Amino acid sequence: MPNMREIRERIASIQQILKITNAMYLMSSSKLKKARKSLEDTEPYFYKLQETIESVLEHTPHIRQRYFDKRSDIPPEKHQKGYVVITADKGLCGSYNHNILKFTEQKLAEAGNPENCHLFVLGQVGRMYFQRSMREKKFSVDSEFLYTTQNPTLYRAMEIAQLVLEKFENRQLDEVNLLYTDMINSNLQETRQVRLLPFERRHFGKAPDGTMKRMPKASFAPSPERVMDFLIPQYAKGIIYGAMVEAFCCEQQSRMTAMDSATSSAKDMIKDLSLLYNRARQASITQEITEVVSGANGLAE
Amino acid sequence: MPNSFHLEIIATDRIFYQGECEHLVITALDGLLGIMAGHEPLVTVLPTGELKYMTGGVWHYAAISEGFIQVMPDKSIILADSCELPEEIDIKRAEEARQRAEERMRQKQSIQEYYQTQSALNRAINRLKVSQKHFR
Repeated sequence: MPNMREIRERIASIQQILKITNAMYLMSSSKLKKARKSLEDTEPYFYKLQETIESVLEHTPHIRQRYFDKRSDIPPEKHQKGYVVITADKGLCGSYNHNILKFTEQKLAEAGNPENCHLFVLGQVGRMYFQRSMREKKFSVDSEFLYTTQNPTLYRAMEIAQLVLEKFENRQLDEVNLLYTDMINSNLQETRQVRLLPFERRHFGKAPDGTMKRMPKASFAPSPERVMDFLIPQYAKGIIYGAMVEAFCCEQQSRMTAMDSATSSAKDMIKDLSLLYNRARQASITQEITEVVSGANGLAE
Repeated sequence: MPNSFHLEIIATDRIFYQGECEHLVITALDGLLGIMAGHEPLVTVLPTGELKYMTGGVWHYAAISEGFIQVMPDKSIILADSCELPEEIDIKRAEEARQRAEERMRQKQSIQEYYQTQSALNRAINRLKVSQKHFR
């Protein structure tokens, strides 16, 4: 028969954990709501931005833009590839981290020569994971790329965009991909790869052969190049910010699910244990009565 | 010829203004630029600065930080990092930001940091200027 005190302690500790998981559940649901709202607030901006870039490109088909450079002078297998990977800052969120890490590894394997792969990892978990496996697998992880994934801000997205664009301009990187988790609906998440650089005209939703929608001819002040120099970083920032928010939403969503199931299994455990506890209590009472009665009987004789 | 055009001012965190406008004056890279209905199509970059637009004969002012404007025959769109009315500006916060940026300017920093600090300083000064000018 299990000891009553032991069971009581066990129940108490499970109740403590239940409180924690429940609090984490509530926290991640409120964070999720906040992140969703900020995504909604910024959406009109990025749609308009995309439209504008489309129309600018349309008027300047001949423009030699440095962010559109496909680096055709270098054979594709020698391209220096950059990967911006978005993971979480901590675990406790089901298979969220596992999925994105496995996805990244798969992409790295597809990329061929790992020595040409450079990882820029957002979030503690991913950074730790890749720094550990960095030496044997031979890819490089930028150790000064320290950004958190908590509460994504445009400012952080801007810094990341600047860093990546600068490396692209200096030819340290020939292409940049963004790996993150996309939320399809609240139950379905999908890891996704998005090409960030070089930009491709088809990204902007039209064919290069003039079958696009009609836009009036516009003049550019001071020059199309200056305008594009401003627009492209803004656009990169937009994509990165969008991905950051999506990934953050996914993280919170997975944490909510994980914590919800932790809470319910804690409740189940408490239920089972209190049954056990009551039985033990009953048994000990019965035993005591038997002892008292037999003691009294012994005295009476 | 109509005497008003459709204007949309969209900041990264919200839609700032959407509606008819008779006259729009913006600070472009090389000075002030006035836009009225029937302006030629134009795309240009806007540095941190001041913006005013007239609706129903009344001027409205706003502080704007980095963005660009696209003028089309039927409408104009301004996209900016941030856009605020003078009365929305938190003077205390702007003042603190200015002091912080000035303090940082005195330190030795990398070129990138220098640019960032400089634009932060510009934003703060611009906010203060707009709010002092149009809001007491």
